[in-house]
Amino acid sequence: MSRRTTRAPGVLLSALALVLAFPAASTEKKPKPPETTAPAGARPSEIVKQLATQKPPVLAGTGADATKSVAAFVDWAAASTSDQADLVRRAVAEAGRSAEIMGAFCEEAFAAQREDHSRALVVLALVGEARSKYGEECLVKFMAIPFPEKGTVVDGEILEQTALGTLQAKAIDGLAYLKSDSGDKLVFEAIAKHPSRIVRAEAIAAYLWNHDNSDKAKEALKPYVRKDELIFLDRVTRVEGEKKESFNRKLAAYLKAHPEVRPPAPTKAQPGKKPTVGEPPAF
Amino acid sequence: MTTRRAISALLFAAALAFHSAPAAAVCNQSAASTADTALWNTHGCWQAFFLWSYKAYDQRSSDWNNRGWNDACNVKLEFPKHWNAAYLVTYGLQDQNCCSWHGTSDYRALGEARGSNFHTSLYHTCSDDNCCFGSFDTHFFGPNEISTHCPLYNSTATNGNPASRAGDFMHEGWHAWLDKYNWDNGSCGGHRCGTPGNCTAKDACDYFYFHGVGAYAFGALYQTDGTANRFHSPNQVQVEFLCDVADYSKSWVPASVKQSAKADADARAVARFINGPGYKCGNPRPW
Repeated sequence: MSRRTTRAPGVLLSALALVLAFPAASTEKKPKPPETTAPAGARPSEIVKQLATQKPPVLAGTGADATKSVAAFVDWAAASTSDQADLVRRAVAEAGRSAEIMGAFCEEAFAAQREDHSRALVVLALVGEARSKYGEECLVKFMAIPFPEKGTVVDGEILEQTALGTLQAKAIDGLAYLKSDSGDKLVFEAIAKHPSRIVRAEAIAAYLWNHDNSDKAKEALKPYVRKDELIFLDRVTRVEGEKKESFNRKLAAYLKAHPEVRPPAPTKAQPGKKPTVGEPPAF
Repeated sequence: MTTRRAISALLFAAALAFHSAPAAAVCNQSAASTADTALWNTHGCWQAFFLWSYKAYDQRSSDWNNRGWNDACNVKLEFPKHWNAAYLVTYGLQDQNCCSWHGTSDYRALGEARGSNFHTSLYHTCSDDNCCFGSFDTHFFGPNEISTHCPLYNSTATNGNPASRAGDFMHEGWHAWLDKYNWDNGSCGGHRCGTPGNCTAKDACDYFYFHGVGAYAFGALYQTDGTANRFHSPNQVQVEFLCDVADYSKSWVPASVKQSAKADADARAVARFINGPGYKCGNPRPW
């Protein structure tokens, strides 16, 4: 996030640095490169060809076997390529009919939420893609995880809130994808009441995408959207495969409809001026 | 003032004397995230790459020696995680003229050390400071410094994945661009203070300077006409990079890396822009 200035001009400092720098330079050795004891392997171009041929692990079994097969499938799906996306989709759609397998996915989602954010995102995406009643039960449970009010502040955000917000946004994608009354009910609730703007924004985008971004869908959402977030109904999304002419037309229309989002002109920094606490209050 | 200078000089001398001492603490080195591991497995620790990238990113053993410098194939450590992210930047993007925001040549130039139209020369360090994801520090002597911090390396952290780490190279690299061309992006660590407009990230807010796809030829991201029509902010460059990873990365880039990139971009786009939201990337289909 931050930009910090450690420039410390000053005659004394410069002189001291020069005095210290010369002896250091005179004895400087050739920089030591990083190293490893691991043997050199194949080139990546070969490795990715081999990875692309890996078949998805079978999703089957009950109890511990189900847990094991789900863990192996998640590993494979997390590493899968874009060419394998349909394989992933077909496999989880099939698995969506199994209460045991979907239960194991759900346990994996809750475990990963605490330990490995990128794994939790993958698992929730798989649960949502399954588009099943068992998956829905899991996503409902996940949405019920209480949203933290406090936590570790990094770069102006509370990490615990961002972590859960991004995961619940992924859960909302799955609920909207169901296109069911029960799923939509939770989507509407999230739009109106979820404390995270990340989740509210995703809920709007997911509902609209699942209803072809129609005017009717926008009207259906209006009663739930906060007044200061109505702009999300018109927000521009760059969709994979969309040509620039199409996107640019949408962007131009958006900027015309919302002139308030045009930023002010950038400004030059004043040379030599450092951040200060400003002037004291007027007496 | 003289006293302050004298104290500064003493502190500077002390810092030089202890420069090669390893840091007392390091980030969580117990694991790598699923996304880090998945990307790692696509190259299997390609030694030729890290023997190039440490020079391209001007990383020094004194800064990384307890972070995997001597164990460069151990993906649980910070140096290997750093070069895993550099690998994504160097090889992972499709560079589609039809559709990408910017190209590999832009993103590489932003993150790499070499002085260019994008910034003056840089070097990369790692920090245990949990103030932020990363920082850009200007130095009176020698190159400026990009430091990436523990929340980009810890496997449990939201941004402890290669896409978010590389995204921070772009963010901090853009602070370096602002510095090179003397632009003022705000007085709170190079951002606008408080939570103005639609921004919710305190003291980390930027404007989003909307532009169409194809507005910048690949390699021309550094250009500006000095108006809001052709300009970028650090968070915006980061969102655009992350969206390019999510939507237009090479087919072999693992799904977990793309999903993490999308989640980070979408969260950032709604939280960090005064005139937000910024662009949303990709469609919301779960997979």
